[in-house]
Amino acid sequence: MLPAVFVSRTDVEGDIWKQDVTFERGGLYLIEAASGTGKSSLCSYILGHRSDYEGTLLFDGRDTRTLKTAEWVKLRRHSISLLFQELRLFPELTAYENVAIKNNLTKHKSREQILHWFDELGIADKMGVKAGRMSYGQQQRVALMRALVQPFDFLFADEPVSHLDDENSRIMGRILMEEARAQGAGVIVTSIGRHIDLAYDKIYRL
Amino acid sequence: MNLVWKLLRQHISIGQLGGFFMANLFGMLIVLIGFQFYQDVIPLFTQNDGFIRQDFIIISKKVNTTGLLGGGSVRVFTPEEMDELRSQPFCKEVGAFTGSLYKVAAGMGIEDVASFTTEMFFESVPDRYIDVETDKWRYAPGDRLIPIILPRSYLTLYNFGFAQSRSLPQLSEGVIGLINMNIYIRGNGRQDLYEGRVVGFSNRLNTILVPESFMKWSNGQYAPALPAVPARLIVEVDNPADDRIARFMQERGYETEDNKLDAGRMTYFLKVISGIVMTVGLTICLLSFYILMLSIFLLVQKNTKKLQNLLLIGYSPLQVSLPYQLLTVGMNLLVLLLSFGMLCIVRSWYMATLTALFPKIGDNGTGLSFCIGLLLFAAVSIVNMYAVHRKVINIWRNKL
Repeated sequence: MLPAVFVSRTDVEGDIWKQDVTFERGGLYLIEAASGTGKSSLCSYILGHRSDYEGTLLFDGRDTRTLKTAEWVKLRRHSISLLFQELRLFPELTAYENVAIKNNLTKHKSREQILHWFDELGIADKMGVKAGRMSYGQQQRVALMRALVQPFDFLFADEPVSHLDDENSRIMGRILMEEARAQGAGVIVTSIGRHIDLAYDKIYRL
Repeated sequence: MNLVWKLLRQHISIGQLGGFFMANLFGMLIVLIGFQFYQDVIPLFTQNDGFIRQDFIIISKKVNTTGLLGGGSVRVFTPEEMDELRSQPFCKEVGAFTGSLYKVAAGMGIEDVASFTTEMFFESVPDRYIDVETDKWRYAPGDRLIPIILPRSYLTLYNFGFAQSRSLPQLSEGVIGLINMNIYIRGNGRQDLYEGRVVGFSNRLNTILVPESFMKWSNGQYAPALPAVPARLIVEVDNPADDRIARFMQERGYETEDNKLDAGRMTYFLKVISGIVMTVGLTICLLSFYILMLSIFLLVQKNTKKLQNLLLIGYSPLQVSLPYQLLTVGMNLLVLLLSFGMLCIVRSWYMATLTALFPKIGDNGTGLSFCIGLLLFAAVSIVNMYAVHRKVINIWRNKL
């Protein structure tokens, strides 16, 4: 597959664009990319947010271009979770509400579990604070929790730790992998430099 | 849902929605009142024997000086003229007034000694034009009793003109119905005595009426040689306000009785005015609807990012549209209920006056107005819901 804007370019190389790539459940992948190589585009394609690409994107053997609205909704609730690079939190809602608004939809985690994560990630005292008033690093942790309150086959973490210190990214990586393993899900992490230190099965260069 | 609403109510402008609410309320109210008033008042014009019966016109030929000089022959309608009238597009049916071709005298007396008698005449029209509800309007050949209908104006003339000046008792319709008159009919070399009884009073027909069956029979009995030719016609029309009627009558030199055409025009004006009022109301409704759409679109525009994020974390377009759809439908519903309540208040106020003026007025109720309101509500709500849905789908498709 290839983003439509890259079609006229001749210098496209790397392990993803114009290649056949398969991500499998249970796998742990890292995509390293330089800025402007289409990393966020890839995430948008996978979530069905955009479809301005050439080639095909198959999910479970099904061409995702043929998916209907309701099927995408189901997919976003039960199969694919995305930790957005730009986080996409709601600044008007508190940190807890930002997680709850997703959990209300999936009923996947108990309130206790979410509170426990807040505690582990060191932002328990920020639960009632509006997301817009939190630091970017704190928001990243809230976004992680929101990505985890749903069942998933694949978790895409788009630069999850860009604003976190080593200690916090270690905790984050642990929680993330615990959840993924419990569900037998595949994890795809992207990074343009800093990345969570994990035992990746395969590293792609974009 | 609460969290979603907490998010999506951001940027809701109370001013804009308030403006819509008031405008829509007034628009709806004007439409409903216009319609309801029309519904309430129109029976006065169209009811049988009502204030004004609109679709009958009685015509005759102009009586002029030359007619008088020419020997005084009665100006009658020929069969050709009646056919021509029948063929006019405004005409539904034509009935003829048939006159008595024999001599009639009526008298009131005791034991057959006539105390006073008066020469008179009878006319008849087909029974369907009779505007008096009675089961006594029957005659079988040979009956001694002749039912008679008098113009209501005769009773008025007697009660308030004659009786008052002569210190005679005023008579009610009921009392007159109890009096038997002696009717003397002469013709064809015979003279017979009949009994006449007034069975009703007509507003429409300005003549002394007997049943058509009696007229046919008696003309055959007492004046078999003379042909019955009508001097007056009763014309049933679709719409008396039709200007073709006035033009036709003018061209042929026919006269209409009782300002019936004016009454028709009043109905027409009532229709026009109700139409204008309802159009104004509808226009206000449309404009308010436009405000609402603009307001909602602005809201969706301002909240595009939130909507998009909700969709991306797994909310369906339906779930995301719902709060705005409920908001608009809820407001529309509130407008409907409020305007209906206000309609009832306004109506009770003017109906009190109307009922006092016209006790016979029927009450059609407000059901039809409610249906119209409901219809407006449904139409506006469906368009609202669809528009919001379209906007959200566009966000889903990333077409911002």
